[in-house]
Amino acid sequence: MGDDEARSWIRGDETAKQMLSRVLKDRAFLLIPPLHRVPLRAGNVVEITGASTSAKTQILIQAAISCILPKTWNGIHYGGLGKLVLFLDLDCRFDVLRLSQMLKHRLLQANWLGNGAWWQLEESNVKSCKSAEEKTKTVFDEELYASCMKRFLYVRCYDSLELLSSLKYFTVLQTLHYRIQQQEACGSQVGVLMIDSIGAFHWTDRLSSSLALETHNRKSLSLTNVVETIVQELKKLLLVHSLVVLATKGTIYKEKYPANENNRKVSSNDHFSGNVASKAQQPPFREFMPSSWQAFVTHKIIIRKSADYQSLQTGQQNLLAYSLEWLQPQLSRIDRFIVDDVRKFTTIKPFYSKLLLIYIVIPASSSHAVWYCHCLVT
Amino acid sequence: MAPLKHLEKENPIIDACFQDFCASHGILTSCVLHLLFLYLSNYFEDFLLHDLYELTAFSQRQTNADRLKEGITLILSLIERQCRPLVNGLKLLEDLHRNKHTLSTGDKETDSLLQGGFREGQLTELVGPSSSGKTQFCMQAAASVAENHLGRVLYLDTGNSFSARRIAQFICSSSDATLGQKVMSRILCHTVYDIYTLFDTLQDLEITLRLQMNVNESRLRLLVVDSISSLITPILGGSGSQGRALMVAIGYLLKKLAHEHSIAILVTNHTVGAGGEGGKTKPALGETWKSIPHVRLSLSRDHKNSNCTISILKHTSLPSGQAAKTLTRKENQQCP
Repeated sequence: MGDDEARSWIRGDETAKQMLSRVLKDRAFLLIPPLHRVPLRAGNVVEITGASTSAKTQILIQAAISCILPKTWNGIHYGGLGKLVLFLDLDCRFDVLRLSQMLKHRLLQANWLGNGAWWQLEESNVKSCKSAEEKTKTVFDEELYASCMKRFLYVRCYDSLELLSSLKYFTVLQTLHYRIQQQEACGSQVGVLMIDSIGAFHWTDRLSSSLALETHNRKSLSLTNVVETIVQELKKLLLVHSLVVLATKGTIYKEKYPANENNRKVSSNDHFSGNVASKAQQPPFREFMPSSWQAFVTHKIIIRKSADYQSLQTGQQNLLAYSLEWLQPQLSRIDRFIVDDVRKFTTIKPFYSKLLLIYIVIPASSSHAVWYCHCLVT
Repeated sequence: MAPLKHLEKENPIIDACFQDFCASHGILTSCVLHLLFLYLSNYFEDFLLHDLYELTAFSQRQTNADRLKEGITLILSLIERQCRPLVNGLKLLEDLHRNKHTLSTGDKETDSLLQGGFREGQLTELVGPSSSGKTQFCMQAAASVAENHLGRVLYLDTGNSFSARRIAQFICSSSDATLGQKVMSRILCHTVYDIYTLFDTLQDLEITLRLQMNVNESRLRLLVVDSISSLITPILGGSGSQGRALMVAIGYLLKKLAHEHSIAILVTNHTVGAGGEGGKTKPALGETWKSIPHVRLSLSRDHKNSNCTISILKHTSLPSGQAAKTLTRKENQQCP
């Protein structure tokens, strides 16, 4: 070891300031309502569990829009990440029309308000834009819309074989890099990887594992093997790209412990700490994914249907309300949110501070409903 | 490894290096032959489950492993063939607007509830108790598609409830005999009595559609399976996975047909008692089936005044809970 080498070893590679700016640029974190309780960073794997029709895909689409929107464009602040979203549709039920409508709505909103924090509006701001005529004049930016839609990458797989092949194709052949360069949004990284329904092929894989013949040291396409390989490929992807994995999981067994919202509310009023302890012991749903997937997941959320919420604005009952609970890390508060059609509201009323979102006047020019999650702070 | 030696004479790609690799990783030799002959047997799975990085690294380490590298390239090209393409949102939207149109259901209230009707590329499920009008709804939809959208309809009937006479009543232009006959000729009815026949029929249909490229004017637009639940319920039973796996496989086959060939698919389901909730009913086929259809509609009939109510249980872009009242068209009612 020469003198020079020893000196360069002591001198160091970069200052703390350089390192911090590099790390912060690379590992931006997501804060999307209703998942905003815990900041998500690159490398986190979030599993969202819920029964059928519990707004899981709605949350994914909203998160996707937050990711594909740029931070600023033409002087208007959108507050997005400007990164690519890779959507692995294993349920094969994705509706691109919904994504497109929600994106257009977001662009229109940002145009009117001029600031990107669309879910936190001051009352004064809202009161000032009452007239509907103002809205009809603003048009959203077509070019921005096209560039955002191009940042949304979609793959649909009909069985485990196709899923494994596609994942292998991404990692082994490094084609993700190649394909990203092909997209117009060059230089973009993948921000989020979304998997719609990780348990989609559970039953078919279980069947093939029971039918497979285990001949000496030959691996068959059984459930545990498939999930292990999926986890390995995802880990390889996480090494190369700094992304967050959002996976939804449906329940395939009926809830054995139907923890009703009403029951839970009554008991929580009496002794809150006791309730948390009992929740920790009893799993709220029957876990069917193998242990390799469970070990891979870093954050867990469960969504349940809540009692119907009556909207004060339209006086309409039977709005779909859901409750969201963080299982890992275990938080003591339960968020409630509703999914509602932003198009319908015609008046603005200042309401009690508990509500996090305020509804905005939308011109009834679009013929389709636009759905958003509005959070209720309990 | 005797078969390998024999094959080496015929296929020069199997050299000693490759044989060693296969022996050390327990990959049977016949799989190499099948792969070489592009026969995607179940041995392809072995390569999917093994670490391909390891395989490529192994080939790099060997100095004269050209044959092995050729084999690896072959495997990777097979993987490429098997994997699904990556499309961006804009292309998806274009495909939607160009190929996947909305088909009218034949009933105005239902059309306004669903904002147009059935969408091609989606699997719609209709749930209802017995004698709530599910078969009537199916036949009305078939008649409407054959007449208004000039598309062919394939009606798979499981309970002998298809009636050509009733379809003729639904067709408005039945006064003009030749036109009426033309419309009727677009509807094809098959009877299926068990799930395996359904599998065979659907797979034959897939092959036919792939060869024909379902794009011309009188293409198949609607596929109706009246009472898919009567085919699936006999095999669903107990905690075994066979029944549910078959159900999921049928669901995915239907969704694949719908998406790749732009067909709207309508299936019906019956209701069973929801135990423990006192008299309420729930759709049959269990929890797993809930996440298979794109759109789930619930039909109920008020027997006093024979009004039917359709409500949305689940939709990809509409709120659930909305309902509309429909009236089944009687025999001599005028067409709207």
